[in-house]
Amino acid sequence: MTNSFALDWYFIALILFIGLYCMLVSRSLLRQLIGLEIMSKAGLLAVISSGAFTNNLSLAQAVIITMIVIEVVVVAAGLALLAKNFRINKSVDIWDLKGLKG
Amino acid sequence: MTYHTLLFMLTTICAGAAVMAGDLLIGAIMLALVSIGASLILFDFMAPWAAVFELSVCAGLITVLFVGAVSLVRASEDADARGRVKFLVLPLAVAGAAIVLWFTLPAFFGALSSGAVSASVNNPIGITLWDIRRPDLLGQTAMLAAGVFVIKSIFPRRNKFK
Repeated sequence: MTNSFALDWYFIALILFIGLYCMLVSRSLLRQLIGLEIMSKAGLLAVISSGAFTNNLSLAQAVIITMIVIEVVVVAAGLALLAKNFRINKSVDIWDLKGLKG
Repeated sequence: MTYHTLLFMLTTICAGAAVMAGDLLIGAIMLALVSIGASLILFDFMAPWAAVFELSVCAGLITVLFVGAVSLVRASEDADARGRVKFLVLPLAVAGAAIVLWFTLPAFFGALSSGAVSASVNNPIGITLWDIRRPDLLGQTAMLAAGVFVIKSIFPRRNKFK
């Protein structure tokens, strides 16, 4: 079980790195959200892996359901911001977001 | 190699493909595949409630939102279209990270596994969700209301007579 737990966390760390890399190198707001989604998937898998390790899956599932609800709201708000930015600046570049101030 | 490890591997590969995809639509579809992989892992962990939520909300609703956004901005120039090299370098960066993690991560597993045993009472999901974690449900409702408020403030109603 411990070996499987270690291997799970190895892949979780890799998924987290992929999401972080996407957020660091990209200037597109859409790709930033894709990176955020990938990082959130890594967090979700970390919670369920820990829940399975401690034989407490119910609590892990409850936390994951909360995470998914928050994830949906964040993505919806981010995409709404993207649509607004695109309508005003005709661009999805994240640096153009400063044009939305005021 | 077990089915469990294979699922983790496929999810990691799909995550890499979502980042490296030149076309944003393919990136959104790969992200949906990551969600499907995550929900299969959740099923494998015997967590059907979370798996169904993940499959319906993340692989369904969020993918629809992403595809809608991609169709809106697809005609415009992709901000990252010029610098594709930084995305093509990703497999190299992941390989480097994998080597570094292989040597550094095991040192933390002892602390992780000993710290994780604190909550050991295993209640049914219904009792956990409705009784023990009831403030979470209140927080979820507040979060949804906040999301509606954010979208309403981003897209204010236009005044016709202005």
